[in-house]
Amino acid sequence: MTERIWDKFLTERDKAVFAAAGFGALAEWGKRPALVIIDVNYAFCDEEPKPILESIKKWRTSCGEDAWEAIPVLQKLIAVCRGKGIPVIYTTGTRRADNWDSGSWSWKSSRRSETPVTEVTNRDGNDIVDEIAPGPQDLVVRKQKPSGFAGTPLQSYLQLLGCDSLIVTGTTTSGCVRATVLDAFSQNFRLTVVEDGCFDRSQASHAINLCDMHAKYANVRPSEEVVEYLNTLEDGMFDLPSGRGMAARIAAE
Amino acid sequence: MTPDRFEDHAWADVIPADLVKLYAPYQRETFVGPRPALVLIDLYNLAYRGGPVAPVSLVDQYPSSCGIYAHKAIEPTKKLIAAVRSAGIPIFYCTSDNRPMAAPQGVGATRRKKPSAVQRFADDYEIWADFAPQEGDVVIRKQRASIFQGTPLISHLNLLGVQSLIVCGESTSGCVRSSCVDGYSNGLHVSLVEECTYDRHELVHKMNLFDLHHKYADVMHVEEVIAHLDGTGARKVAAE
Repeated sequence: MTERIWDKFLTERDKAVFAAAGFGALAEWGKRPALVIIDVNYAFCDEEPKPILESIKKWRTSCGEDAWEAIPVLQKLIAVCRGKGIPVIYTTGTRRADNWDSGSWSWKSSRRSETPVTEVTNRDGNDIVDEIAPGPQDLVVRKQKPSGFAGTPLQSYLQLLGCDSLIVTGTTTSGCVRATVLDAFSQNFRLTVVEDGCFDRSQASHAINLCDMHAKYANVRPSEEVVEYLNTLEDGMFDLPSGRGMAARIAAE
Repeated sequence: MTPDRFEDHAWADVIPADLVKLYAPYQRETFVGPRPALVLIDLYNLAYRGGPVAPVSLVDQYPSSCGIYAHKAIEPTKKLIAAVRSAGIPIFYCTSDNRPMAAPQGVGATRRKKPSAVQRFADDYEIWADFAPQEGDVVIRKQRASIFQGTPLISHLNLLGVQSLIVCGESTSGCVRSSCVDGYSNGLHVSLVEECTYDRHELVHKMNLFDLHHKYADVMHVEEVIAHLDGTGARKVAAE
């Protein structure tokens, strides 16, 4: 890959520094990955593709049409992982109805108190979009802060599954994706960030955060290459949840 | 150990029949889990001060000493460590982070008051010489009871692909207990070695072993664990 998505945002000096300092080497792939999909819910995607400035009138955290460009990529990755028995782990937010537990989030957003729901179906913004709905054998981690690890059982799930690496996708690249990647890196997991499987409401932030993560913490790769890698892995390596009884529970919710 | 011998442990003489019956649903086979690491909790000099006597006689001078119980555990712990080393299993020690300026006042593993007559030495928190860490071992410095709390232990375990812990050390009711519970909560299988674990009083030791065994860890006898490790060592040699 010669031209990267972040190149157009870098100065000539930046490019020279990265090259000279030895950052951005390609790390080895892990042997036992999990696919992690960060916060691809209605609050970040809206209910359909809409120009972002339009979309954020209702969903203040929406990433607009960029979210919907990533969804087919996620569908492909999810299908490959489910087919091979590789763990698929979603994160999404959880919040009291009165929003008390938004805590530090309320310090930096003037629209924090808004809690819209979907048209007609009246669903919460934290519901994962139907286009990539979790299946009965997938795991959903509910979180309150940017990182999927902060105050959640994610580390223990990865330990139980015997994972050594994460394939990270979702949103926002600069926020929850980056925070989760950082924490996973700090816990010595190997990391791949799927370039076209991540999105952000800011295109500049998206590119520069991918640049930072690729320089120091993760391999930032296109989904095509990630699928090729996943296809090299043995089928059925993991002791996944059986999924028994989950369909009834999902229907009840 | 098989489920019918589930209660054949140190607590057998203090647990009433109705409690055994109440806790029957916890009975299961106990074992050392896959890809283990040995975790030696707080085997520092302070625990052995004053020699093999009743800890109650040391309470003014050496309130952290487990006296006779610490000294009784020395031989089995040496055997356990030797078996772990020959099986090539990673070893983690922990000790108190007593470096100056490391924590604000009030931070500690327990709420115990410090008696005025307490004697301090520079090597209080160094590992007891019989178990001295060797090249390749890892020593974790901690400020609280659990070896997991505020330490990089999980990142080390992930790096090595560790899936289970073999735990021993002191005290059963304090740092051993909290480390076992955190290990369990982090998705690791935990085996606790009875003869290599101790506290300041037998009753506290027994009740805490009982709790851990039923809820969070497999309390195992040192011979069982060593037999398992010798088996894995032999299999490893055969594979090579």
